[in-house]
Amino acid sequence: MKSNTYILRLLLLAVSPLLTDCSTWSKKSVAQQPTAASSATKTTPAAVKSNEAQVEEVDEYAAEVSDPLQPFNRAMFRVNDGLYTVLLRPISKGYEKVLPTPVRKGIDNAFDNVKFPVRFVNCTLQGKFKRAGQETGKFLVNTVAGLGGLLRQSDRIPALANVPAEDLGQTLATWGIGHGPYIVLPLFGPSSLRETVGMAGDYAANPVNWGLFWHGGHDWEHDWTMIPPAANTLRLLPSQLATYDDATKDAIDAYLSARSAYIQNRAEAARK
Amino acid sequence: MTTRLFLTLLLAVTPLSASAQIAEAQTRLKSAVNEVLAVADRTANRAALADNVRPVLLKHVSFETMTKRAVGPGWRQFTPAQQKQATQLFSTLIIRTYSNKFTPGEHPVITYQNPVSPAAGRVDVPTDMVYKGSNYSVTYRMEQVGGWKIADVVIEGVSLIANYRSQLDAQFKKGGANAVISSLTQSVSRPQ
Repeated sequence: MKSNTYILRLLLLAVSPLLTDCSTWSKKSVAQQPTAASSATKTTPAAVKSNEAQVEEVDEYAAEVSDPLQPFNRAMFRVNDGLYTVLLRPISKGYEKVLPTPVRKGIDNAFDNVKFPVRFVNCTLQGKFKRAGQETGKFLVNTVAGLGGLLRQSDRIPALANVPAEDLGQTLATWGIGHGPYIVLPLFGPSSLRETVGMAGDYAANPVNWGLFWHGGHDWEHDWTMIPPAANTLRLLPSQLATYDDATKDAIDAYLSARSAYIQNRAEAARK
Repeated sequence: MTTRLFLTLLLAVTPLSASAQIAEAQTRLKSAVNEVLAVADRTANRAALADNVRPVLLKHVSFETMTKRAVGPGWRQFTPAQQKQATQLFSTLIIRTYSNKFTPGEHPVITYQNPVSPAAGRVDVPTDMVYKGSNYSVTYRMEQVGGWKIADVVIEGVSLIANYRSQLDAQFKKGGANAVISSLTQSVSRPQ
């Protein structure tokens, strides 16, 4: 009992800076609103929008993220593209060849199911309690009735089908934190400062990586801890390469196309 | 009596017209999608698909609106001839991009959600699509341009037009209308 309250206190301490941060952010945006409304420059886009003659200005189509590191990012983008071709594509093809589609589907389901804590924690951090409950229901149904998560039985229950997956990047976005600079990460590709932080947090919260955290890197008897994260990376390769190809294949400027697709997709994920 | 009848009629008709517009846009979209899928079913290989869906898409998609939006504010500095050329090139590129998303022999299952009208003359039709075992959210943006036409396709939050806007706007800033047109020419002539 005593240790419980201790842990609770620690948790509260850990979370409190985030909470204060969050409240200052939202206050800021409220304070800015009246000035935005009164300033003439801010009102013009709305006026333009309603004007049929200038239809080309419809502004859900305006640009999206700051990219001060563009020269570095473009270089990294080219390096990644090369790495995908010589390294990841052959591995991905091999994986698809060795395992039939239903088996791969089962593996995807199992890894998704195990990732439950990431979604649950982020639903809670965003105050989406109903969705946190749905996630818990999904996890129980799939673990118990879906052979430990190999089958997504929860899709048969309308209330548990199509629950948008929450992650830390979306939580930070919900708290009003912007992307910061756009960053192309080695191998991972498109990201931003906010999303990189989010990805690191999600990595730590994903049980697949816990073995590596607890035991990894020190002695040979714990080499097994490498297996779950590596398998997780492997099973994600085909779909991630497909997403990359979709964004770059018919592009005029592949770098800009991938950036735009990534930012738009993350914005939509945060909205849901 | 007649005024009363007239008023009742008016009351009945006014709210209907907005929802009738939405319904009409959705009906148009459904028939467009069905026509495309029928063509896709008949076509065995991907290279032929672009040629085969072209007439269907020309009928249901407003490529003029798409091109204008994809270019952005720079559009007004295009001469009419340049606008025409850009539209032609961009249509070809869009048709190719769109048909490349199909795999012969795979059938998408589409569920239509409730359409919404974000502004007069515009209707967004959200759909859920199951394709090759994965779920996708696809929203079709319809616009009233001499009949309801598709003006954008938004897949998983990624608008086709916004995506091209980010690229074409950069070209325009680099070298105006000529840079836009030459970049489009280059993309269209790139071997598949």
